Amino acid sequence: MAHALRDKAAISGIGETAYTRGTTKSGLALQLEASLKAIDDAGLSPRDIDGVVPYFPGGGIAEDFIANLGLPDLAVSAFVPMGGASCVAALQMAAMAVATGVCRNVLISVGRTGYSGARVSTRLQQFPQFALAAEFEAPIGMFAPAQLYAQGARRHMELYGTTTRQFAEVAVVTRRHAILNGNVVMNKPLTVEEHHASRMIADPFRLYDCSLESDGGAAVVVSASDRARDLRQRLVTISGVAEGHPESPASIAQRPDLLEFGLAKAAPRAFGMAGVGPKDIDVAEIYDCFTFTVINQLELLGFCKKGEGGPFVMDGRIALGGELPINTHGGLLSQGHVVGLNHVVELTRQLRHAAGKAQVKDAELGLVTGYGDMGDGSVAILRRAA
Amino acid sequence: MSTVSAATPPVPERPLPTPTRDSQPYWDGLREGRLMLQHCAGCGKVRHYPRPVCPHCFSMESQWRQAPLDGRIHSWTVCHHPFNFFFKSTTPYTIALVDMAAGVRINAPLRGMAESALKIGAPVRLAFEPVSKDVTLPYFVPG
Ligand SMILES: [Zn+2]
Repeated sequence: MAHALRDKAAISGIGETAYTRGTTKSGLALQLEASLKAIDDAGLSPRDIDGVVPYFPGGGIAEDFIANLGLPDLAVSAFVPMGGASCVAALQMAAMAVATGVCRNVLISVGRTGYSGARVSTRLQQFPQFALAAEFEAPIGMFAPAQLYAQGARRHMELYGTTTRQFAEVAVVTRRHAILNGNVVMNKPLTVEEHHASRMIADPFRLYDCSLESDGGAAVVVSASDRARDLRQRLVTISGVAEGHPESPASIAQRPDLLEFGLAKAAPRAFGMAGVGPKDIDVAEIYDCFTFTVINQLELLGFCKKGEGGPFVMDGRIALGGELPINTHGGLLSQGHVVGLNHVVELTRQLRHAAGKAQVKDAELGLVTGYGDMGDGSVAILRRAA
Repeated sequence: MSTVSAATPPVPERPLPTPTRDSQPYWDGLREGRLMLQHCAGCGKVRHYPRPVCPHCFSMESQWRQAPLDGRIHSWTVCHHPFNFFFKSTTPYTIALVDMAAGVRINAPLRGMAESALKIGAPVRLAFEPVSKDVTLPYFVPG
């Protein structure tokens, strides 16, 4: 029997601001700007929103949405505090809310001043979920995700022979896709040589292995599929969705396997709910906080075997026209970092066949991941409805 | 520069741990030059970082025992970008993640080993660096 939630909810609206480095706008203003665009894209009025799942921490709260959007009767206000896995996991929460009739239209939104506001190492120590990192890792000089995840990347290289040339391929292909997009922070071509020459951040991660600290906002509206069918846009349903949490969730260092995280648990559930497998996916938006995390996630998702993610990304396979085009908008590495909600926006655009020069031909089934905190994972499989 | 001018940036403070009721014995141990680890009083399993409940048998009782200082490298990173200006003068520095003989992992700076010598399984030994009256931090040396 099909999963009770399969295809019952849809992404009815998408919105994003300009992605920049430098803004005078507040994070909340960016979040609301993207929200208004997403609501309008759906053909809805702000008055139709009765559920909000903003990014936390740092996002607006129920009061902000009621006051700014004049929400007349907010029925659900929730946070999904999973760092970069929050936005895709929020799709699961929103889908449950609209499929059960608790809500009609749920707004998921992010606004962020990651460049002009507090930078990453400052933000990290303010989060309750990073209390252990602040106590045990910051004092020895480990602050930022780049450092914390570098040890996993190094181990993958040592165990499986993964190379920085393979890391570079992810960065270079992503940049090529970004240039097709237009609304991106990084709009100049990137070569493998430039990647290799970029300064070392936390070995083995160089500058171009790391996602951008940028300013911007993104939002999506989730509605029940039967209602969304009558709205403005082509119906794109949430076919499968799941979140997963790793063992030793707050500390990578204490995890039995540094390379096994929440996505490993979420992926089989999302594929099972959708009733499809990796081979059915036409386009994927993979949370690219680092080049290597893309490689690792492709393994955990089952696109290739464990340890084979490095070779998998080579030979044009992940580029437009390849077997599994990924990060067709430029991702967090080149477009901008709004905690991955831009990945959801892009996948929806792909499945509406509205992705412009980056359109994957005849895309019908797509996958998007979130990856956050110290290894929480989330994944959604979206479908272009017939 | 011998005089402090208004343009001199303040010396960045070293980030220090704030021990909790659960972790205080670990930090007390380091200050005394010992690696103290939390062992479950119910099933005997060792755990790190410190926490109130054993995830295996759910006992809330535990004992702190002194652990041996030797271990082997599980992985490492060489930090070039400091992320906190306190560490700027010491970059690049290596942080090794070490499988301790006691059965937990410890992340700490590794000193005295060339980058070319770093490899999974290389033996190292925990050492102690007092950084304030109250706080001693761990680091590794070749073992
Ligand atoms: Zn126990």
